[in-house]
Amino acid sequence: MDFLQTYGFLIVTMLQQGLLGLSLYFPLMAGQLSLASPGFYAMGGYIAAIVLTNPSFAPWREALGGWIFPVTWLLSGLASAVLGVVVGVPALRLRGIYLALATIAFVQILQVLSLNLSVTGGAIGLFGIPQAFGFVDRWQYIWIFLPAVVVVLLFAHKLQGSRVGRAFRAIREDELAADAMGIPPTRYKVLAFVIGAVIAGVVGAMSAPFLNTWNARQGTFDASIAFLAYTLIGGSRSMWGPLLGGALLASLPELLRGLADWRLVINGLVLVVASLYLPQGIVGALSRLRRKTPPQRPTPQHQAALGETP
Amino acid sequence: MTELLQNLINGLAIGSVYAIFALGYTLVFSILGIINFAHGAVFTLGAYFTYTLVVGQFENNGLIKGINLFPAGSPFHGSAWAFAAAALIGAVLSGVVAVIIERLAFRPMRSRGADPLLALVSSLGVALVIVNLIQILVGAESYSFPGDIYGDLKPALIMHVGGKLIVVRSVQVIIFAVSMVLLLILGYITQRTRVGKALRAVAENPGTASLLGISVNRFIVITFFLSGFLGGLAGTLVSTAFSVAGPYFGVAFGLKGLAVIVLGGLGSIPGAVVGGLVIGLAEAFVPAEYSAYKDAVAFALLFVILLIRPQGLLGRVQIQKV
Repeated sequence: MDFLQTYGFLIVTMLQQGLLGLSLYFPLMAGQLSLASPGFYAMGGYIAAIVLTNPSFAPWREALGGWIFPVTWLLSGLASAVLGVVVGVPALRLRGIYLALATIAFVQILQVLSLNLSVTGGAIGLFGIPQAFGFVDRWQYIWIFLPAVVVVLLFAHKLQGSRVGRAFRAIREDELAADAMGIPPTRYKVLAFVIGAVIAGVVGAMSAPFLNTWNARQGTFDASIAFLAYTLIGGSRSMWGPLLGGALLASLPELLRGLADWRLVINGLVLVVASLYLPQGIVGALSRLRRKTPPQRPTPQHQAALGETP
Repeated sequence: MTELLQNLINGLAIGSVYAIFALGYTLVFSILGIINFAHGAVFTLGAYFTYTLVVGQFENNGLIKGINLFPAGSPFHGSAWAFAAAALIGAVLSGVVAVIIERLAFRPMRSRGADPLLALVSSLGVALVIVNLIQILVGAESYSFPGDIYGDLKPALIMHVGGKLIVVRSVQVIIFAVSMVLLLILGYITQRTRVGKALRAVAENPGTASLLGISVNRFIVITFFLSGFLGGLAGTLVSTAFSVAGPYFGVAFGLKGLAVIVLGGLGSIPGAVVGGLVIGLAEAFVPAEYSAYKDAVAFALLFVILLIRPQGLLGRVQIQKV
């Protein structure tokens, strides 16, 4: 029990950040780099925080009791899906870095809105969010986040073997060819984007009670890049990569606690070194060790970068 | 009418800094096809370099607090020329830092043929390192330049037009003039000199450029130096108009720079200028009662332009080949 008292918060945070890393994994399955997750995460958290604290939802809370928490997950998931379609349909005509930039803009716009609306508590945010299911210790959130991780992993596993998963892969490898084979790219790209959005939104709704307070710092550009780092450093070609990356990078500040002020400097160095030495991510490096395949010929990266069309 | 004129002046001043800052992004993007997120940190660094040279003392916090690096009587005290020299040295140092960043964080990745997206992460790692080193060394407080850095120039020109006041701050005029001169010089370098020709060749196709005897790596270094120089100078200019607002103030600016380059067209030099001015003006014309939403303007423009004209205002359409 002592162990959970000390490290429970950290373990739950690792699972939570792993889930957020996974929210980038689904769009990436279809070859789309979306950095929109922090926007949906923040929105999901705000929806939960408003339902759980705003006086106008008091009758709901009384009527539903503990069921109010799953209801907030559902609401946030639905809202994220709707917003995901609204944003995704126009934005997913863009590719590569252009899509990434559009999604960064989306996150920024949501952040400015949340800083200025009264329902989101402005710059102060919302606080005093009740603990889910009357939990008394933070580690108990493991009963929410662990099943969520398992569900998402099972879903990813099922998806990979399915028709939709094959369509995602086909689009990732060559969108034009996929289109020619009768796979409508836009529909599948939006689907992949919406799956990521729903995961991020629901994780936000689960996290609001966990963190007790919710404000505009939850959905920032820094978070966009953090989630991207989870995915790339963990490995973007396997569902274990983002989970591992999220868990490891989320625990890094805790591991480096002794370094005090230098912690964030080291954190930055880790990002640099990992991107230099683990280009396939940790999972990619591990599986390469196991298979002992000869190293791949370096691709002309410059051409790859310029080959993107907007 | 007067309001319009006042907004125009404010918008052009801030927009011209956006332009030279964004040029740093766009130069690197046009050569390497990557976005260097450390550019915002270099911007911050430029402001801190100049502040160190001019004032030489950080008071409250950090490892080097209270050390007077440049005591009164040292060359950077007093006259406007001393400040100009300090700003120039600050910009050169920022350029050097950008070259070091290229050497440590970008070149190894290039030689391994890593995914260009990884450059986003590694350059952001570099930004984290720089920003937090600044915080450790001099603390998180914001500092203001002394009022007399521009010598005995009047702080503002106040005009009466039709019974209303128009205020033109001297800083705004200086910012605008310096930015325009820099843009002309940069335009001359890229369009009229051999170095510029080589730079454009590398941007067009590094493989062919290297076959033609152009040392690609050397020109990448030059690009990063120019980019850091422009970013650092933009940092100094902005902080003289407002203040050196803590280690993180380049990050928000860096994000706006992204909006600027996309609006103008990624990789397009005139595009960065037009984009900077458009966003500066758009922000200046946000009515006072909606000023809290001012920061969203750049991103709303970014989102809209990507949807209706993804290549940006002045960018070239790239045709995807199978």
